[in-house]
Amino acid sequence: MPKTARPKTAVLAFQLAGCEYQPPAGDQTWTGQLLAARPGAPPASAGALRPRCVASRPRQLCLSARRQQPQQQQSAQETDADTFDVLQDGTDHARYPPLERLPASVAGYPSPLPERALKSAKLAALHARLSLPSKIPLQTLARALVDGSADENPQFNNSNLAFVGHTLITYHVAEWLMCHYPRLPMSIVFSAVQAYAGDKALHQVARSWGVETAAAPGGEVDPGLLQFSLDKPTTTVLKFGYKRTEAAYLEKFKWRRGISSRVVFDDDFGGVVKSAEPEEEQEDDDLEEAEEGLSPSYTSYGTDKTRQIAEKVHANFARATIGAVYAHCGREAAKAFINAHIMSRTLDLSNLFAFKHPTRELALLCAREDFDHPVARLLSETGRMSRTPVFVVGIYSGTDKLGEGAGPSLDLARFKAAMNSLKAWYLYSPGGNVRVPSDMLVEDAKPWEPAHIDIGEIISR
Amino acid sequence: MTVKALQQLTTGRNGVGAFILQCKKMDIHYCDWAGSSRGMNGFIKSILPKFAAANPQIEFVVSPRPSKHPVVIGHYINGREKAICVRNLEPLQILKKVELLRDASGEKLRKVNKPVQSVNESVRGVWSPYHGNGMAV
Repeated sequence: MPKTARPKTAVLAFQLAGCEYQPPAGDQTWTGQLLAARPGAPPASAGALRPRCVASRPRQLCLSARRQQPQQQQSAQETDADTFDVLQDGTDHARYPPLERLPASVAGYPSPLPERALKSAKLAALHARLSLPSKIPLQTLARALVDGSADENPQFNNSNLAFVGHTLITYHVAEWLMCHYPRLPMSIVFSAVQAYAGDKALHQVARSWGVETAAAPGGEVDPGLLQFSLDKPTTTVLKFGYKRTEAAYLEKFKWRRGISSRVVFDDDFGGVVKSAEPEEEQEDDDLEEAEEGLSPSYTSYGTDKTRQIAEKVHANFARATIGAVYAHCGREAAKAFINAHIMSRTLDLSNLFAFKHPTRELALLCAREDFDHPVARLLSETGRMSRTPVFVVGIYSGTDKLGEGAGPSLDLARFKAAMNSLKAWYLYSPGGNVRVPSDMLVEDAKPWEPAHIDIGEIISR
Repeated sequence: MTVKALQQLTTGRNGVGAFILQCKKMDIHYCDWAGSSRGMNGFIKSILPKFAAANPQIEFVVSPRPSKHPVVIGHYINGREKAICVRNLEPLQILKKVELLRDASGEKLRKVNKPVQSVNESVRGVWSPYHGNGMAV
Protein backbone atom coordinates (compact mmCIF):
# COMPACT_ATOMS: atom_id res chain seq x y z
CA MET A 1 0.00 0.00 0.00
CA PRO A 2 1.43 3.36 -0.94
CA LYS A 3 2.36 5.74 1.78
CA THR A 4 -0.32 8.29 2.47
CA ALA A 5 0.62 11.86 3.12
CA ARG A 6 -0.14 13.66 6.35
CA PRO A 7 -3.88 14.43 6.26
CA LYS A 8 -4.97 17.98 5.70
CA THR A 9 -7.62 18.56 8.32
CA ALA A 10 -8.06 22.22 8.78
CA VAL A 11 -10.49 25.02 9.31
CA LEU A 12 -10.05 27.19 6.28
CA ALA A 13 -8.51 30.46 7.31
CA PHE A 14 -10.06 32.55 4.59
CA GLN A 15 -13.47 32.01 6.15
CA LEU A 16 -12.37 34.42 8.81
CA ALA A 17 -11.27 37.14 6.40
CA GLY A 18 -12.77 40.52 7.10
CA CYS A 19 -13.87 39.62 10.60
CA GLU A 20 -10.91 40.99 12.49
CA TYR A 21 -11.51 42.63 15.82
CA GLN A 22 -12.49 46.24 15.66
CA PRO A 23 -12.82 48.09 18.92
CA PRO A 24 -16.29 49.48 19.59
CA ALA A 25 -16.81 53.14 18.93
CA GLY A 26 -18.25 55.48 21.49
CA ASP A 27 -20.12 54.14 24.48
CA GLN A 28 -18.64 50.79 25.34
CA THR A 29 -21.74 49.41 26.92
CA TRP A 30 -20.79 45.85 26.31
CA THR A 31 -18.18 45.96 29.03
CA GLY A 32 -21.11 46.21 31.39
CA GLN A 33 -19.91 49.21 33.31
CA LEU A 34 -22.89 51.39 32.57
CA LEU A 35 -25.47 48.68 33.01
CA ALA A 36 -24.11 47.64 36.36
CA ALA A 37 -25.10 51.05 37.65
CA ARG A 38 -28.65 50.76 36.30
CA PRO A 39 -31.06 52.78 38.43
CA GLY A 40 -34.18 51.14 39.76
CA ALA A 41 -33.03 47.63 39.11
CA PRO A 42 -34.39 44.92 41.36
CA PRO A 43 -31.91 43.98 44.07
CA ALA A 44 -31.45 40.46 42.76
CA SER A 45 -30.46 41.72 39.35
CA ALA A 46 -28.04 44.21 40.80
CA GLY A 47 -26.44 41.44 42.78
CA ALA A 48 -26.08 39.28 39.73
CA LEU A 49 -24.53 42.02 37.67
CA ARG A 50 -21.97 42.91 40.30
CA PRO A 51 -18.77 40.88 40.03
CA ARG A 52 -18.98 38.59 43.02
CA CYS A 53 -16.15 37.76 45.39
CA VAL A 54 -13.65 39.88 43.54
CA ALA A 55 -11.02 39.45 46.17
CA SER A 56 -11.24 35.69 46.31
CA ARG A 57 -11.09 35.28 42.53
CA PRO A 58 -8.27 37.37 41.14
CA ARG A 59 -9.11 36.53 37.52
CA GLN A 60 -12.32 38.54 37.87
CA LEU A 61 -10.48 41.68 38.91
CA CYS A 62 -10.67 43.22 35.50
CA LEU A 63 -11.11 42.32 31.89
CA SER A 64 -7.42 42.17 31.36
CA ALA A 65 -7.00 38.98 33.37
CA ARG A 66 -8.35 37.03 30.45
CA ARG A 67 -7.75 39.63 27.79
CA GLN A 68 -4.02 39.43 28.42
CA GLN A 69 -4.02 35.76 27.65
CA PRO A 70 -2.63 35.84 24.10
CA GLN A 71 0.97 36.36 25.17
CA GLN A 72 0.71 33.74 27.86
CA GLN A 73 -0.94 31.39 25.46
CA GLN A 74 1.81 31.76 22.89
CA SER A 75 4.47 31.07 25.47
CA ALA A 76 2.51 28.07 26.58
CA GLN A 77 2.33 26.82 23.04
CA GLU A 78 6.06 27.08 22.63
CA THR A 79 6.62 24.78 25.56
CA ASP A 80 4.84 21.79 24.18
CA ALA A 81 5.09 19.89 27.42
CA ASP A 82 2.05 21.38 29.10
CA THR A 83 -0.13 21.48 26.02
CA PHE A 84 -3.66 20.39 26.71
CA ASP A 85 -4.67 17.64 24.34
CA VAL A 86 -8.37 17.47 23.69
CA LEU A 87 -8.23 13.91 22.43
CA GLN A 88 -6.82 11.56 25.03
CA ASP A 89 -8.41 8.41 23.66
CA GLY A 90 -5.42 6.69 22.09
CA THR A 91 -5.65 8.54 18.77
CA ASP A 92 -2.45 8.68 16.72
CA HIS A 93 -1.73 12.38 17.15
CA ALA A 94 1.09 12.36 14.59
CA ARG A 95 -1.35 11.26 11.94
CA TYR A 96 -4.47 13.03 13.19
CA PRO A 97 -3.34 16.20 14.93
CA PRO A 98 -6.02 17.97 16.97
CA LEU A 99 -7.60 20.88 15.19
CA GLU A 100 -6.57 23.46 17.72
CA ARG A 101 -3.67 23.25 20.15
CA LEU A 102 -5.01 24.62 23.41
CA PRO A 103 -2.86 25.61 26.35
CA ALA A 104 -3.47 23.71 29.57
CA SER A 105 -4.72 26.85 31.27
CA VAL A 106 -7.95 27.02 29.22
CA ALA A 107 -9.45 24.14 31.15
CA GLY A 108 -9.47 26.38 34.20
CA TYR A 109 -11.79 28.94 32.66
CA PRO A 110 -15.57 28.56 32.60
CA SER A 111 -15.87 29.90 29.05
CA PRO A 112 -13.53 30.12 26.05
CA LEU A 113 -11.04 32.95 26.00
CA PRO A 114 -12.17 35.94 23.91
CA GLU A 115 -9.29 35.74 21.43
CA ARG A 116 -10.20 32.19 20.47
CA ALA A 117 -13.30 33.66 18.82
CA LEU A 118 -11.12 34.79 15.94
CA LYS A 119 -10.25 31.21 15.09
CA SER A 120 -13.68 29.63 15.27
CA ALA A 121 -15.17 28.74 11.89
CA LYS A 122 -18.59 28.14 13.43
CA LEU A 123 -18.64 31.62 14.88
CA ALA A 124 -17.52 33.24 11.62
CA ALA A 125 -20.20 31.30 9.76
CA LEU A 126 -22.86 32.40 12.26
CA HIS A 127 -21.69 36.00 11.92
CA ALA A 128 -22.03 35.80 8.14
CA ARG A 129 -25.32 33.90 8.27
CA LEU A 130 -26.94 36.67 10.29
CA SER A 131 -25.47 39.26 7.90
CA LEU A 132 -24.09 41.09 10.89
CA PRO A 133 -22.10 44.19 10.00
CA SER A 134 -18.33 43.83 10.25
CA LYS A 135 -18.39 46.43 13.02
CA ILE A 136 -19.54 43.71 15.38
CA PRO A 137 -16.42 41.79 16.36
CA LEU A 138 -16.46 38.04 16.63
CA GLN A 139 -15.53 38.36 20.29
CA THR A 140 -18.83 40.06 21.08
CA LEU A 141 -20.79 37.43 19.20
CA ALA A 142 -18.85 34.80 21.14
CA ARG A 143 -19.77 36.54 24.36
CA ALA A 144 -23.43 36.56 23.35
CA LEU A 145 -23.22 32.77 23.17
CA VAL A 146 -22.09 32.37 26.80
CA ASP A 147 -25.03 32.09 29.17
CA GLY A 148 -24.85 33.17 32.78
CA SER A 149 -25.08 29.55 33.88
CA ALA A 150 -21.88 28.73 31.99
CA ASP A 151 -19.80 31.66 33.20
CA GLU A 152 -21.20 33.68 36.05
CA ASN A 153 -18.79 36.55 35.55
CA PRO A 154 -20.93 39.30 33.96
CA GLN A 155 -17.92 40.60 32.08
CA PHE A 156 -17.77 37.37 30.10
CA ASN A 157 -21.38 36.20 29.86
CA ASN A 158 -24.24 37.63 27.86
CA SER A 159 -26.45 38.91 30.68
CA ASN A 160 -25.71 42.58 30.03
CA LEU A 161 -26.14 42.29 26.28
CA ALA A 162 -29.34 40.28 26.75
CA PHE A 163 -30.78 42.92 29.05
CA VAL A 164 -30.16 45.62 26.44
CA GLY A 165 -31.55 43.41 23.70
CA HIS A 166 -34.65 42.53 25.69
CA THR A 167 -35.39 46.18 26.38
CA LEU A 168 -34.98 47.10 22.71
CA ILE A 169 -37.12 44.25 21.43
CA THR A 170 -40.01 44.87 23.79
CA TYR A 171 -39.84 48.61 23.12
CA HIS A 172 -40.05 48.20 19.36
CA VAL A 173 -42.74 45.52 19.50
CA ALA A 174 -44.84 47.55 21.92
CA GLU A 175 -44.60 50.82 19.99
CA TRP A 176 -45.43 49.03 16.75
CA LEU A 177 -48.51 47.42 18.30
CA MET A 178 -49.70 50.63 19.92
CA CYS A 179 -49.39 52.69 16.74
CA HIS A 180 -50.80 50.06 14.40
CA TYR A 181 -53.60 48.80 16.66
CA PRO A 182 -54.44 51.76 18.92
CA ARG A 183 -57.59 50.17 20.35
CA LEU A 184 -56.02 46.94 21.61
CA PRO A 185 -56.87 46.27 25.25
CA MET A 186 -53.83 46.18 27.50
CA SER A 187 -54.14 42.47 28.27
CA ILE A 188 -54.03 41.74 24.54
CA VAL A 189 -51.02 44.01 24.16
CA PHE A 190 -49.20 42.05 26.87
CA SER A 191 -50.09 38.80 25.16
CA ALA A 192 -49.05 40.06 21.74
CA VAL A 193 -45.73 41.37 23.04
CA GLN A 194 -45.11 37.96 24.53
CA ALA A 195 -46.02 36.30 21.24
CA TYR A 196 -43.36 38.37 19.49
CA ALA A 197 -40.70 38.86 22.16
CA GLY A 198 -41.33 36.13 24.71
CA ASP A 199 -38.96 33.27 25.43
CA LYS A 200 -40.79 30.83 23.16
CA ALA A 201 -40.73 33.10 20.11
CA LEU A 202 -37.11 34.16 20.56
CA HIS A 203 -36.14 30.55 21.13
CA GLN A 204 -37.52 29.78 17.70
CA VAL A 205 -35.69 32.78 16.27
CA ALA A 206 -32.39 31.59 17.74
CA ARG A 207 -33.04 28.06 16.48
CA SER A 208 -33.75 29.39 13.00
CA TRP A 209 -30.32 30.99 13.04
CA GLY A 210 -28.78 27.54 13.20
CA VAL A 211 -26.89 27.96 16.46
CA GLU A 212 -25.66 24.72 17.98
CA THR A 213 -25.23 23.99 21.66
CA ALA A 214 -22.19 22.71 23.48
CA ALA A 215 -22.65 19.50 25.44
CA ALA A 216 -21.26 21.18 28.54
CA PRO A 217 -19.72 24.58 29.14
CA GLY A 218 -15.99 24.96 29.63
CA GLY A 219 -12.89 26.82 28.54
CA GLU A 220 -12.07 24.34 25.81
CA VAL A 221 -15.34 24.32 23.84
CA ASP A 222 -15.65 25.95 20.44
CA PRO A 223 -16.62 29.62 20.95
CA GLY A 224 -19.20 29.25 18.17
CA LEU A 225 -21.41 26.98 20.29
CA LEU A 226 -24.11 28.11 22.69
CA GLN A 227 -22.82 27.37 26.18
CA PHE A 228 -25.04 26.84 29.19
CA SER A 229 -25.33 24.54 32.11
CA LEU A 230 -28.46 22.58 32.94
CA ASP A 231 -27.29 21.84 36.47
CA LYS A 232 -27.21 25.35 37.81
CA PRO A 233 -29.52 27.62 35.81
CA THR A 234 -28.61 31.27 35.95
CA THR A 235 -30.31 33.46 38.49
CA THR A 236 -29.64 36.66 36.62
CA VAL A 237 -32.78 38.70 36.15
CA LEU A 238 -32.92 39.86 32.55
CA LYS A 239 -36.31 41.51 32.62
CA PHE A 240 -37.21 44.82 34.11
CA GLY A 241 -39.83 44.81 36.82
CA TYR A 242 -40.39 45.13 40.52
CA LYS A 243 -40.86 42.32 42.94
CA ARG A 244 -44.24 42.80 44.55
CA THR A 245 -44.28 42.69 48.31
CA GLU A 246 -47.32 40.44 48.16
CA ALA A 247 -45.72 38.15 45.55
CA ALA A 248 -45.77 35.15 47.88
CA TYR A 249 -49.54 35.37 48.36
CA LEU A 250 -50.53 35.91 44.74
CA GLU A 251 -50.56 32.25 43.88
CA LYS A 252 -51.49 31.00 47.31
CA PHE A 253 -54.68 33.05 47.66
CA LYS A 254 -55.18 33.70 43.92
CA TRP A 255 -55.14 37.42 44.47
CA ARG A 256 -56.24 39.50 41.56
CA ARG A 257 -53.70 41.66 39.75
CA GLY A 258 -55.29 44.59 37.97
CA ILE A 259 -54.07 45.60 34.55
CA SER A 260 -52.87 48.99 35.80
CA SER A 261 -50.77 47.42 38.52
CA ARG A 262 -49.33 45.01 35.96
CA VAL A 263 -48.23 47.96 33.87
CA VAL A 264 -46.46 49.51 36.86
CA PHE A 265 -45.03 46.55 38.72
CA ASP A 266 -44.75 43.52 36.51
CA ASP A 267 -42.42 42.62 33.67
CA ASP A 268 -42.93 43.50 30.01
CA PHE A 269 -45.37 40.64 29.48
CA GLY A 270 -47.52 41.45 32.49
CA GLY A 271 -46.12 38.49 34.43
CA VAL A 272 -45.13 38.54 38.07
CA VAL A 273 -41.43 39.09 38.69
CA LYS A 274 -40.40 36.00 40.60
CA SER A 275 -37.62 35.91 43.14
CA ALA A 276 -34.27 35.29 41.50
CA GLU A 277 -33.22 32.42 43.74
CA PRO A 278 -34.67 29.15 42.47
CA GLU A 279 -36.06 26.57 44.84
CA GLU A 280 -33.01 24.39 44.88
CA GLU A 281 -34.30 21.30 46.64
CA GLN A 282 -37.09 20.67 44.22
CA GLU A 283 -34.83 21.26 41.26
CA ASP A 284 -32.27 18.77 42.52
CA ASP A 285 -34.98 16.19 42.86
CA ASP A 286 -36.11 16.79 39.31
CA LEU A 287 -32.62 16.51 37.91
CA GLU A 288 -31.87 13.36 39.84
CA GLU A 289 -35.07 11.83 38.62
CA ALA A 290 -34.21 12.86 35.10
CA GLU A 291 -30.81 11.27 35.31
CA GLU A 292 -32.23 8.02 36.54
CA GLY A 293 -34.93 8.14 33.90
CA LEU A 294 -37.64 7.91 36.55
CA SER A 295 -39.46 11.06 35.62
CA PRO A 296 -42.31 10.35 33.22
CA SER A 297 -41.53 13.49 31.25
CA TYR A 298 -37.99 12.34 30.53
CA THR A 299 -37.22 11.79 26.85
CA SER A 300 -34.11 11.81 24.74
CA TYR A 301 -34.71 15.55 24.42
CA GLY A 302 -34.49 15.99 28.19
CA THR A 303 -37.18 16.78 30.69
CA ASP A 304 -39.65 19.61 30.65
CA LYS A 305 -37.34 21.45 33.00
CA THR A 306 -34.24 21.09 30.83
CA ARG A 307 -36.19 22.07 27.75
CA GLN A 308 -37.43 25.14 29.59
CA ILE A 309 -33.88 26.10 30.53
CA ALA A 310 -32.67 25.57 26.96
CA GLU A 311 -35.56 27.65 25.66
CA LYS A 312 -34.66 30.52 27.95
CA VAL A 313 -30.98 30.30 27.06
CA HIS A 314 -31.69 30.35 23.34
CA ALA A 315 -33.98 33.35 23.80
CA ASN A 316 -31.30 35.17 25.76
CA PHE A 317 -28.82 34.50 22.99
CA ALA A 318 -31.17 36.11 20.48
CA ARG A 319 -31.61 39.08 22.83
CA ALA A 320 -27.87 39.36 23.40
CA THR A 321 -27.24 39.39 19.66
CA ILE A 322 -29.57 42.35 19.32
CA GLY A 323 -27.85 43.98 22.30
CA ALA A 324 -24.54 43.49 20.51
CA VAL A 325 -25.89 45.06 17.32
CA TYR A 326 -27.02 48.03 19.38
CA ALA A 327 -23.74 48.35 21.26
CA HIS A 328 -21.56 48.32 18.16
CA CYS A 329 -23.74 49.66 15.35
CA GLY A 330 -26.25 51.88 17.10
CA ARG A 331 -29.96 52.42 17.27
CA GLU A 332 -30.92 52.27 13.62
CA ALA A 333 -29.07 49.04 12.92
CA ALA A 334 -30.64 47.43 15.98
CA LYS A 335 -34.09 48.54 14.85
CA ALA A 336 -33.52 47.19 11.35
CA PHE A 337 -32.32 43.89 12.81
CA ILE A 338 -35.38 43.62 15.06
CA ASN A 339 -37.66 44.43 12.13
CA ALA A 340 -35.98 41.82 9.95
CA HIS A 341 -35.89 38.98 12.46
CA ILE A 342 -38.72 39.56 14.93
CA MET A 343 -41.32 41.97 13.62
CA SER A 344 -41.43 40.14 10.29
CA ARG A 345 -42.95 37.11 12.00
CA THR A 346 -46.69 36.60 11.56
CA LEU A 347 -49.28 36.78 14.28
CA ASP A 348 -53.04 36.80 13.84
CA LEU A 349 -54.11 39.19 16.58
CA SER A 350 -57.76 38.13 16.30
CA ASN A 351 -56.81 34.78 17.80
CA LEU A 352 -55.75 36.41 21.06
CA PHE A 353 -59.20 37.49 22.25
CA ALA A 354 -61.29 35.52 24.71
CA PHE A 355 -64.66 37.10 25.53
CA LYS A 356 -66.85 36.14 28.42
CA HIS A 357 -69.98 38.21 27.81
CA PRO A 358 -69.58 39.53 24.27
CA THR A 359 -73.16 40.74 23.83
CA ARG A 360 -73.12 42.73 27.05
CA GLU A 361 -69.76 44.24 26.17
CA LEU A 362 -70.97 45.20 22.72
CA ALA A 363 -74.04 46.87 24.18
CA LEU A 364 -71.81 48.89 26.51
CA LEU A 365 -69.55 49.87 23.63
CA CYS A 366 -72.51 51.11 21.61
CA ALA A 367 -73.81 53.06 24.62
CA ARG A 368 -70.38 54.63 25.15
CA GLU A 369 -69.92 55.61 21.54
CA ASP A 370 -73.53 56.87 21.12
CA PHE A 371 -74.36 54.25 18.55
CA ASP A 372 -77.84 52.82 18.34
CA HIS A 373 -78.45 49.83 20.57
CA PRO A 374 -77.14 46.71 18.81
CA VAL A 375 -79.76 44.34 17.46
CA ALA A 376 -79.16 40.79 16.25
CA ARG A 377 -80.94 39.74 13.07
CA LEU A 378 -81.06 36.37 11.45
CA LEU A 379 -79.59 36.68 7.98
CA SER A 380 -79.90 33.14 6.71
CA GLU A 381 -80.30 29.66 8.02
CA THR A 382 -80.33 26.10 6.87
CA GLY A 383 -81.44 22.81 8.33
CA ARG A 384 -83.21 24.20 11.41
CA MET A 385 -84.80 20.83 12.14
CA SER A 386 -81.79 18.79 11.14
CA ARG A 387 -78.87 17.51 13.21
CA THR A 388 -76.49 20.07 11.76
CA PRO A 389 -78.25 23.42 11.47
CA VAL A 390 -76.40 26.59 10.51
CA PHE A 391 -77.60 30.06 11.42
CA VAL A 392 -76.00 33.23 10.16
CA VAL A 393 -76.67 36.19 12.41
CA GLY A 394 -75.75 39.82 11.83
CA ILE A 395 -75.53 42.49 14.49
CA TYR A 396 -76.92 45.87 13.49
CA SER A 397 -76.70 49.22 15.10
CA GLY A 398 -79.44 51.18 13.36
CA THR A 399 -78.77 50.46 9.71
CA ASP A 400 -75.05 49.79 10.21
CA LYS A 401 -73.99 46.19 10.25
CA LEU A 402 -71.34 45.77 12.95
CA GLY A 403 -70.54 42.14 12.47
CA GLU A 404 -71.73 38.74 11.44
CA GLY A 405 -71.28 35.22 12.72
CA ALA A 406 -72.40 31.69 11.95
CA GLY A 407 -73.12 28.92 14.40
CA PRO A 408 -75.11 25.77 15.00
CA SER A 409 -77.61 27.49 17.27
CA LEU A 410 -79.21 30.91 17.29
CA ASP A 411 -77.53 31.91 20.54
CA LEU A 412 -74.11 30.75 19.48
CA ALA A 413 -74.40 32.55 16.17
CA ARG A 414 -75.40 35.72 18.02
CA PHE A 415 -72.41 35.42 20.37
CA LYS A 416 -70.11 34.82 17.42
CA ALA A 417 -71.52 37.88 15.69
CA ALA A 418 -71.00 39.97 18.83
CA MET A 419 -67.42 38.73 19.16
CA ASN A 420 -66.71 39.56 15.55
CA SER A 421 -68.15 43.04 16.02
CA LEU A 422 -65.96 43.60 19.10
CA LYS A 423 -62.89 42.32 17.29
CA ALA A 424 -63.67 44.64 14.41
CA TRP A 425 -63.68 47.51 16.90
CA TYR A 426 -60.58 46.49 18.82
CA LEU A 427 -58.53 45.60 15.75
CA TYR A 428 -59.02 48.96 14.07
CA SER A 429 -55.79 49.98 12.38
CA PRO A 430 -55.02 53.38 10.88
CA GLY A 431 -53.14 51.62 8.08
CA GLY A 432 -49.86 49.95 7.39
CA ASN A 433 -47.84 53.12 6.93
CA VAL A 434 -48.26 54.56 10.40
CA ARG A 435 -45.08 55.95 11.86
CA VAL A 436 -43.84 54.91 15.24
CA PRO A 437 -42.16 57.25 17.76
CA SER A 438 -38.70 55.79 17.12
CA ASP A 439 -38.97 56.94 13.49
CA MET A 440 -38.53 60.46 14.82
CA LEU A 441 -35.05 59.67 16.12
CA VAL A 442 -33.62 59.61 12.62
CA GLU A 443 -31.99 62.77 11.40
CA ASP A 444 -34.10 64.95 9.03
CA ALA A 445 -37.25 63.07 9.97
CA LYS A 446 -40.50 64.67 8.87
CA PRO A 447 -42.53 66.41 11.58
CA TRP A 448 -44.51 64.05 13.77
CA GLU A 449 -48.15 63.56 13.00
CA PRO A 450 -50.06 62.61 16.10
CA ALA A 451 -50.92 58.94 16.28
CA HIS A 452 -54.48 57.79 16.84
CA ILE A 453 -55.07 57.50 20.56
CA ASP A 454 -58.16 55.67 21.71
CA ILE A 455 -60.02 56.52 24.87
CA GLY A 456 -59.52 53.00 26.09
CA GLU A 457 -61.08 49.62 26.30
CA ILE A 458 -64.65 48.99 27.35
CA ILE A 459 -64.92 48.72 31.08
CA SER A 460 -68.03 46.77 31.87
CA ARG A 461 -69.62 45.59 35.04
CA MET B 1 -65.50 40.80 32.76
CA THR B 2 -63.13 42.59 30.49
CA VAL B 3 -61.59 40.81 27.55
CA LYS B 4 -59.12 38.06 28.42
CA ALA B 5 -56.03 37.29 26.37
CA LEU B 6 -55.00 33.91 25.01
CA GLN B 7 -51.38 33.02 24.41
CA GLN B 8 -50.28 32.54 20.83
CA LEU B 9 -46.93 32.32 19.13
CA THR B 10 -45.65 34.15 16.09
CA THR B 11 -44.58 32.07 13.13
CA GLY B 12 -41.46 32.92 11.22
CA ARG B 13 -41.16 32.80 7.46
CA ASN B 14 -37.64 32.63 6.15
CA GLY B 15 -37.07 35.31 3.56
CA VAL B 16 -39.76 37.65 4.86
CA GLY B 17 -37.61 40.21 6.63
CA ALA B 18 -34.37 38.31 6.84
CA PHE B 19 -33.16 35.36 4.84
CA ILE B 20 -31.06 32.72 6.56
CA LEU B 21 -29.26 30.23 4.34
CA GLN B 22 -30.43 26.82 5.50
CA CYS B 23 -27.17 24.98 4.86
CA LYS B 24 -24.99 25.67 7.86
CA LYS B 25 -22.11 23.27 7.48
CA MET B 26 -20.52 21.22 4.76
CA ASP B 27 -18.23 18.27 5.37
CA ILE B 28 -15.92 17.53 2.48
CA HIS B 29 -14.19 14.16 2.58
CA TYR B 30 -11.44 13.06 0.25
CA CYS B 31 -8.82 10.33 -0.09
CA ASP B 32 -5.23 11.05 -1.08
CA TRP B 33 -4.67 7.76 -2.75
CA ALA B 34 -7.79 6.48 -4.40
CA GLY B 35 -8.50 7.34 -8.03
CA SER B 36 -12.14 8.13 -7.38
CA SER B 37 -10.98 11.15 -5.39
CA ARG B 38 -8.90 12.68 -8.16
CA GLY B 39 -11.63 15.13 -9.11
CA MET B 40 -12.31 15.92 -5.47
CA ASN B 41 -8.65 16.69 -4.80
CA GLY B 42 -8.64 19.08 -7.75
CA PHE B 43 -11.85 20.65 -6.45
CA ILE B 44 -10.36 21.19 -3.01
CA LYS B 45 -7.20 22.72 -4.45
CA SER B 46 -8.63 24.98 -7.11
CA ILE B 47 -12.35 25.66 -6.59
CA LEU B 48 -13.11 25.27 -2.90
CA PRO B 49 -11.18 28.35 -1.64
CA LYS B 50 -13.16 30.63 -3.95
CA PHE B 51 -16.44 28.87 -3.24
CA ALA B 52 -15.95 29.04 0.51
CA ALA B 53 -14.99 32.70 0.36
CA ALA B 54 -18.15 33.40 -1.63
CA ASN B 55 -20.29 31.52 0.92
CA PRO B 56 -19.11 32.62 4.35
CA GLN B 57 -22.42 31.50 5.94
CA ILE B 58 -21.36 27.89 5.58
CA GLU B 59 -18.76 26.27 7.77
CA PHE B 60 -16.54 24.08 5.58
CA VAL B 61 -14.71 21.18 7.13
CA VAL B 62 -12.25 19.34 4.92
CA SER B 63 -11.07 16.01 6.26
CA PRO B 64 -9.61 12.81 4.83
CA ARG B 65 -11.45 9.52 4.60
CA PRO B 66 -8.72 7.14 3.53
CA SER B 67 -9.61 4.27 1.21
CA LYS B 68 -13.17 5.53 0.76
CA HIS B 69 -15.01 7.38 -1.97
CA PRO B 70 -15.13 11.16 -1.67
CA VAL B 71 -18.32 12.50 -0.08
CA VAL B 72 -19.86 15.92 0.44
CA ILE B 73 -22.25 16.15 3.40
CA GLY B 74 -24.44 19.19 3.94
CA HIS B 75 -25.81 19.91 7.41
CA TYR B 76 -28.97 21.99 7.64
CA ILE B 77 -30.59 24.23 10.20
CA ASN B 78 -33.56 21.90 10.59
CA GLY B 79 -31.19 19.20 11.85
CA ARG B 80 -31.19 17.04 8.77
CA GLU B 81 -28.23 16.29 6.58
CA LYS B 82 -27.72 15.40 2.95
CA ALA B 83 -24.79 13.39 1.68
CA ILE B 84 -23.70 13.11 -1.93
CA CYS B 85 -21.05 10.66 -3.06
CA VAL B 86 -18.91 12.37 -5.70
CA ARG B 87 -16.73 9.48 -6.82
CA ASN B 88 -15.06 9.82 -10.23
CA LEU B 89 -16.58 13.27 -10.80
CA GLU B 90 -14.69 16.16 -12.33
CA PRO B 91 -14.12 19.28 -10.20
CA LEU B 92 -16.79 21.27 -12.06
CA GLN B 93 -19.29 18.45 -11.65
CA ILE B 94 -18.51 18.43 -7.94
CA LEU B 95 -19.11 22.18 -7.87
CA LYS B 96 -22.61 21.54 -9.21
CA LYS B 97 -23.26 19.04 -6.45
CA VAL B 98 -21.92 21.40 -3.79
CA GLU B 99 -24.11 24.21 -5.10
CA LEU B 100 -27.08 21.86 -4.98
CA LEU B 101 -26.34 21.14 -1.32
CA ARG B 102 -25.87 24.82 -0.57
CA ASP B 103 -29.21 25.79 -2.11
CA ALA B 104 -31.19 22.94 -0.58
CA SER B 105 -33.50 23.69 2.33
CA GLY B 106 -32.76 20.47 4.14
CA GLU B 107 -36.37 19.35 3.93
CA LYS B 108 -37.28 15.97 2.55
CA LEU B 109 -37.91 16.12 -1.17
CA ARG B 110 -41.59 16.20 -1.94
CA LYS B 111 -43.81 17.06 -4.81
CA VAL B 112 -45.26 20.56 -4.75
CA ASN B 113 -48.66 20.63 -6.41
CA LYS B 114 -49.86 24.09 -5.48
CA PRO B 115 -48.38 27.14 -7.19
CA VAL B 116 -48.53 29.16 -3.95
CA GLN B 117 -48.17 28.06 -0.36
CA SER B 118 -48.92 30.74 2.19
CA VAL B 119 -49.80 31.23 5.83
CA ASN B 120 -51.82 34.30 4.90
CA GLU B 121 -55.53 33.82 4.48
CA SER B 122 -57.02 34.18 1.04
CA VAL B 123 -57.76 37.74 0.00
CA ARG B 124 -60.96 36.76 -1.75
CA GLY B 125 -62.27 34.67 1.13
CA VAL B 126 -63.77 31.23 1.20
CA TRP B 127 -67.00 30.67 -0.70
CA SER B 128 -69.98 30.46 1.59
CA PRO B 129 -73.31 28.86 0.78
CA TYR B 130 -75.15 31.21 3.15
CA HIS B 131 -74.27 34.44 1.42
CA GLY B 132 -75.06 35.94 -1.95
CA ASN B 133 -78.08 35.01 -3.99
CA GLY B 134 -77.86 31.31 -3.40
CA MET B 135 -77.84 28.60 -6.00
CA ALA B 136 -80.75 27.83 -8.24
CA VAL B 137 -81.58 24.16 -7.94
